Amino acid sequence: MTATVTRQVRDRQSTRRTRDASGSTRSPVRWWAYAVLVAVGTASIFPLYWSFVVASSEGAAASGLPSLVPGPHFPDNLARVVTTVDFAFAMQNSLIVASTVAAANVAISTLAGFAFAHLRFPGRNTLFLLVLGTAMIPAQLGVVPLYLVVSDLGWYGRLEAVIVPALAGAFGVFWMRQACEEAVDRDVVDAARLDGCSLLRVIWHVVLPAVRPQAVVLAMLTFMSAWNDFFWPLIVLDPVDSPTVQVVVSELASGYFTDYALMLTGATLGVLPVLAVFVLLARRIVTGIMHGAGRGVR
Amino acid sequence: MSAPLRISRLAAALLLVLVLSCGCSGESGTIRLTLATFGEFGYRELVETFERENPGITVVTRVTDFDSHHKALATALGTGRGAPDVVAIEEQYLPSMRQAADKFVDLSTFGADKLRSRWAEWKWAGGLAGDRVIGLGTDMGGLAMCYRRDLFAAAGLPTDREAVARLWPTWRAFAGVAEQFAASAPDGVHFTDSAANVFQSMVSQLDHNYFATDGSYVAGRNERLKQAFTLAGLLGARGHTAKVQPFTQEWSTAIRSGKVATVSCPSWMLALIRNAAGPHGEGRWDIATVPGGTGNRGGSYLAIPAQTKHARQAYRLAEWLTAPEQQRRSFLTTGLLPSCPEVYRDPAIRSRRDEYFSNAPVGKIYAAAADKLRPTFRGVDDAKVRPRFDAALGRIEEGALGVPEAFREAVEQGREALEGG
Amino acid sequence: MGGRAAGYLLLAPFLVVFAVFGLLPMLFTAWVSLHDWHLLDGPRSFTGTGNYLRLLSDWRFYNALGNTVSIFLLSTVVQLLAALGLAALLNRPLRAATWWRAGVLLPNVVSVVAVALVFGQLFGDTSGTVNAVLQSLGLDPVDWHGDRLAAHLAVSVMVIWRWTGYNALLYLAAMQSIPQERYDAAALDGASRWRAFWSITVPGIRPTILFTVVISTIGGLQLFTEPQLFDPLGTAGTGGTDRQFQTLVMYLYERGFTDYDAGYAAAVAWAVVAVSGIVVLVNFGLVRRMVARS
Repeated sequence: MTATVTRQVRDRQSTRRTRDASGSTRSPVRWWAYAVLVAVGTASIFPLYWSFVVASSEGAAASGLPSLVPGPHFPDNLARVVTTVDFAFAMQNSLIVASTVAAANVAISTLAGFAFAHLRFPGRNTLFLLVLGTAMIPAQLGVVPLYLVVSDLGWYGRLEAVIVPALAGAFGVFWMRQACEEAVDRDVVDAARLDGCSLLRVIWHVVLPAVRPQAVVLAMLTFMSAWNDFFWPLIVLDPVDSPTVQVVVSELASGYFTDYALMLTGATLGVLPVLAVFVLLARRIVTGIMHGAGRGVR
Repeated sequence: MSAPLRISRLAAALLLVLVLSCGCSGESGTIRLTLATFGEFGYRELVETFERENPGITVVTRVTDFDSHHKALATALGTGRGAPDVVAIEEQYLPSMRQAADKFVDLSTFGADKLRSRWAEWKWAGGLAGDRVIGLGTDMGGLAMCYRRDLFAAAGLPTDREAVARLWPTWRAFAGVAEQFAASAPDGVHFTDSAANVFQSMVSQLDHNYFATDGSYVAGRNERLKQAFTLAGLLGARGHTAKVQPFTQEWSTAIRSGKVATVSCPSWMLALIRNAAGPHGEGRWDIATVPGGTGNRGGSYLAIPAQTKHARQAYRLAEWLTAPEQQRRSFLTTGLLPSCPEVYRDPAIRSRRDEYFSNAPVGKIYAAAADKLRPTFRGVDDAKVRPRFDAALGRIEEGALGVPEAFREAVEQGREALEGG
Repeated sequence: MGGRAAGYLLLAPFLVVFAVFGLLPMLFTAWVSLHDWHLLDGPRSFTGTGNYLRLLSDWRFYNALGNTVSIFLLSTVVQLLAALGLAALLNRPLRAATWWRAGVLLPNVVSVVAVALVFGQLFGDTSGTVNAVLQSLGLDPVDWHGDRLAAHLAVSVMVIWRWTGYNALLYLAAMQSIPQERYDAAALDGASRWRAFWSITVPGIRPTILFTVVISTIGGLQLFTEPQLFDPLGTAGTGGTDRQFQTLVMYLYERGFTDYDAGYAAAVAWAVVAVSGIVVLVNFGLVRRMVARS
């Protein structure tokens, strides 16, 4: 049975490619659609562009009136950044933190989301409301109790302090629950189970391909928020032993006055890996199942 | 099918890296001290010297920005975990730390009480909490008045720093100069940056301000406070301020584009002005004596949280860093004004000039301000009340409130902040 | 595996993390809110509902509540509608689709320092770009930080700018689950794309729309980053000289980390939870009805 399901899924994936090329409606995209996208894109990219402009200007001249054209000083500022802080080490730490958090969130949230969406067990609804309730507590206040827990676990100044609390969250579970409700047919799940598939196998071969777009988006969003978090890492991480990118960027900004060129060079540099991950992941926001076929599994 | 597999393999590999990288924290015989500061104290080089002179101690410096630094400290003190061994505390946070004096090592147990003659009297006193010594002074923020020579010339005012100082022996005279300046100033140029900045400088010259020395809230009854507020508020109401406050982006823009003719500047603010004004400002800015002649705003202390496991070594570090010789070196690298009279009276420091500020004798100006200083009394809740007065002055500048109403509102909101309800 | 056991088993990894790092802090916050609790000194006395009673007569709390709701209303509707449209665009067979999809998240990735700089420059009161444009058109400059409504608008623009792409991506993922056959059938029936959008796409991602409404309600009522970046004084500020744009969480932050009144801050946090809960319920009902109708 597994082999059959796998083959079926593979077949669907090949049909998926044609669908990907054609999109949800097959008529060509008009020019105005691109015009809208270009407008949105320009607004989106402007601050990043501007960061680079400032990062390429001369240190002392970088505050105050904005210029719109990059200067020639990016290499100098880059050199200043890497001599001021251990940027490569911070990058490595951020990469470890963000990829672990993203991978764990997808795995844990898919399991939990599927359980909330498709399995019946006592206390399910109460539990789900509780999950939603904790999401309403402002993170700014959670800091103090979280700090107590993390330091009691001996994680102060270590990457575990930022990784473990972020491994799963209400947002991801809620999101994957939604995805499972929307994209996975209960009939398909029941059929597969009747055929003797174990639950994990069903999740792996049926659920995950169906919710792949949502899982990919969750991976992007959790990667990004783990990468960009600074409020919490600044409090629990050690700038020497375990700095993340945001910690060293804050260190670059810690003078009595703000050296914008230095700081934004660090900030711009720190965004690049996220962009790379986004581009890698974004092409996977396509479903692994053709729906018409999916419904015919039994 | 292969995508999830690859992702999970990646995750497994990463977890492995994580476990490995956490498993190799080598234990050796050396003691490791953490030194947490904000801003530029110039400690990196000093610490290297310290490590050479004290084998067996390594010092890790943590530098974060001003706000994060003090928040992390509050969290660490409140939870009793994770505080650094030696920590810098800025003057405005000190009163609230004094309320939790037992969270800090009493430095007199290591003999700090015998060092009091090192510092200016008021600086030493600032580090006390009752009979405990909780902080050793680092730098201070002597007051002066920075001004633009070219803008003064354009408005027909004198430009020489002695002559400029003679224009404003008092703040009332300063307000008079503002009127004179406005009468013939270039278009769009304001006499000073903000009412709040002027007000805070004036407040630092009063013997007490929002609180009486017994700790009671007297803002509504303190005539001199009201006069200071009124004078600063009128500068705002009459349009002599650019409505921009230091440490903000609009302030930098205003300074850079030459829209501000004077800034009341504690010593550490020179770096701020230099950075904001850029090369264009070189030789245009100058420094004169502040109205009222003296005053202090800002400056820090080093303290040792009681959680430390190495109080003795931490004390050795804090004591060494705040010693006159190190303060001298810190001044020479960062320009932070020393709080030891022995250092700021030193001819080598005194003769120090600042090329950027038209070669102004910064050593002399700031040392003179420090010598005459009579510190203002700051109540434990100073930091809660002060922002309300700054905000009320901002309301005047926005044209939303008249001066008397703004003062009443500030006093009332200050009271609310104290009652916390 | 029985159904029940399986449910708990699949939830187990989540529940462990959730209990330790979600539930525990929440309960701790509740406990703190019942005390006179100084951030540095710890608990001083048990006060029961004392902090909550103080809250009810605190005008600054109501002020923050009003600002939060106002900014929330101004930003959320626009943001979600724009996201829906953007997602529909991104769901089409675009050239370089990957880049557009990755690109819409840029506003959320860019360092907050850059965001603060750019919007500070746009909405500067005296030297801002928007005011310069207004003046060149012969209009009066706007007091972006002093005028309450103007400040709310400016903050809303920041929120919309930062979160539209984020929500668009959520919608896009959901739109991928809509079977192509439905569109084909509609096309055969001669339905316009506009029709298809409202009769197929929107109902097809209804649960996700509800999801984003709930999530942006929770996020909107916890609004902190944007107004704080908008405040020239940063975290030291109180959202304007007259708290014109101080949100609930900014107020919480002020009380907790500036005044060190942890007990009161915890009470504000629970008030945020209560308000979020109510608004989520109301929104949920409203949107469910609206989406069901379309």
